[in-house]
Amino acid sequence: MDRLKFAGKVATGSDTLSLGWNAVIQRLRAAVRKRPAGGIAVLFVLVQLTCIAGGLIFPEQFRYLNPANIRVTVMSVAPLGIMSLGVGMLMIAGEFDLSVGALYSFCAVFAATMANNHFGGINNPLSPFIGASLGVGIGIAAGLLNGAVTIGFGIPSFITTLGTMLLWNGGVLLYNGASAVDFLPKPPFAPLFGGQFWLMDSGFLWFLGLAVVCSFVLHHHKLGNHFYAVGGNQQAAVAIGIDPAKVKLIAFAITGGLAAFSGIVAMTRVSSVQPGGGMGMELRSIAACVIGGVALMGGRGSIVGVVLGTALVFTINDVLLLLRAPGFYFDMFVGALIMLAVILNHSIRRRSWT
Amino acid sequence: MMQGEARVMEVAPATGLEPPPLYEARNVSKRYGNVRALVGVTFHVGCREVVGLLGDNGAGKSTLIRMMSGIVRPDSGEILADGKPVRVVSRSDSERLGIETIYQDIALVDPMSITRNIFMGREITSRFGFMRHKRMAELAVDVLQSAVHIAGIDHPDTEVGFLSGGQKQAVAIARAVYFKRRILLLDEPTSALSVRETERLLAYVAGLKQENVSSVLVTHNLYHAFMVCDRFVVMSHGQVVFEAAKEETTIEDLTDHVIRT
Repeated sequence: MDRLKFAGKVATGSDTLSLGWNAVIQRLRAAVRKRPAGGIAVLFVLVQLTCIAGGLIFPEQFRYLNPANIRVTVMSVAPLGIMSLGVGMLMIAGEFDLSVGALYSFCAVFAATMANNHFGGINNPLSPFIGASLGVGIGIAAGLLNGAVTIGFGIPSFITTLGTMLLWNGGVLLYNGASAVDFLPKPPFAPLFGGQFWLMDSGFLWFLGLAVVCSFVLHHHKLGNHFYAVGGNQQAAVAIGIDPAKVKLIAFAITGGLAAFSGIVAMTRVSSVQPGGGMGMELRSIAACVIGGVALMGGRGSIVGVVLGTALVFTINDVLLLLRAPGFYFDMFVGALIMLAVILNHSIRRRSWT
Repeated sequence: MMQGEARVMEVAPATGLEPPPLYEARNVSKRYGNVRALVGVTFHVGCREVVGLLGDNGAGKSTLIRMMSGIVRPDSGEILADGKPVRVVSRSDSERLGIETIYQDIALVDPMSITRNIFMGREITSRFGFMRHKRMAELAVDVLQSAVHIAGIDHPDTEVGFLSGGQKQAVAIARAVYFKRRILLLDEPTSALSVRETERLLAYVAGLKQENVSSVLVTHNLYHAFMVCDRFVVMSHGQVVFEAAKEETTIEDLTDHVIRT
């Protein structure tokens, strides 16, 4: 009799326990399905856990948790990350920018040349600030040009920005020649944009800060809401009274400005800039966005996704470096990752549909 | 002093007369290449009335609706609001006149949530333009439940892309209803609705008259039209071919005009 009672108690106890677990799992599942970045977040956590486990089990062969490794990886994230924030928002608004890589170089070279040769030279603490502002200004202007041509003439932005990409790639050589430009600013510019704090550098902190700002604009400001509306269904947006030209112009300008800023941050860290340094970054940033769940046709995506997508790309890069894999493996893995991420996102979406 | 005089001047001619129609199109025409979508159409919407806009496919009903909401620009003709000539060449123009439209090809953004669709372009924001999500979600729930209660919409955060045709239509209606001002344009609103949902919607449209909102109902279904409309306008090949108040006509008469012309 007593035993029976006891058994009954145990049974109910384990029932509520398993029910609690089920509820937690279900809630997690719902969260993963509802968020556009849900799939990539799961993938990111899994990759990180695997890497950390690997680093703990083989601390000598796989130095993932070595502070020097963490520092280098984190440092490398910022330029592509900052660029991807703009590229992602523009993609959500339904347009592409292939000229960001070229702008990255052009604006940095322009900013460095301005700071070196004007405003009292590079030894004047103010001069790099003015140079950098001009560089970002050029980036914004170039973004507006992309937008104006795309919208004004009704050309696909893929074509417009393919043109301006070549334009700026050639322009930087015309302006500067093929030689690298030194950029050795004095404080406070140098620590503000190229400093190192514990495991993080200032570029990474800028990336995180800008990600927070972009996230607020995209997810909580009406401008961001209009990005989604215009990218998701332009005709509906027009019918409801949103001006797609204005919205897209702003998105193009933000993208150009962030591309320029990413170039300047990268240049400050390494103290010089190569005219061709940004080549290929446009596709890598689109890749990071797509991995992070931004829809290629617009209307879908999130800043968290873009950040995780970029971080995942660099985690893979780091792992390959630590395993001493040849460089070409990187592209292969990123290629595979793009497909994996898209398939994952797609299947999650389809399942939550029913 | 000047203002007082102006007001007197404005009101004086109207006293003792019928108030001018909320919206009036005089002799408007619209061509798409060789197609004459509207040919000298004269059409008006009065205070507190439901106008049934009838006609076969391609009669020009949708073009007229689109023109009223500012999406289509007339080639010629005159448009008046409250008896005064106005230009309605963009959505914001028609919004200023208090015109809300529910489109045939539902103007919703699939990847966005129900709440965001309802408040798209008219977000409730703080002074700096940041959206007040909670407030909008509450209002969305409210309006979805009161206007056209459609089964299956349980959460305002649901993406519109996951909804059925009828549910989407309900969201579109909820949006127009929430922002109702003076004239509600409904372009085939019942095409995706069930019988019960249709009845609810029609009753709602009729009830809006009490709140000083007039409606224009475009439909193929003459029975629906006859249920709620006060006046009927039949179009054919871009022209108005028949116009009558409900008391002056019968459903057979209307059917005849739609089919024959």
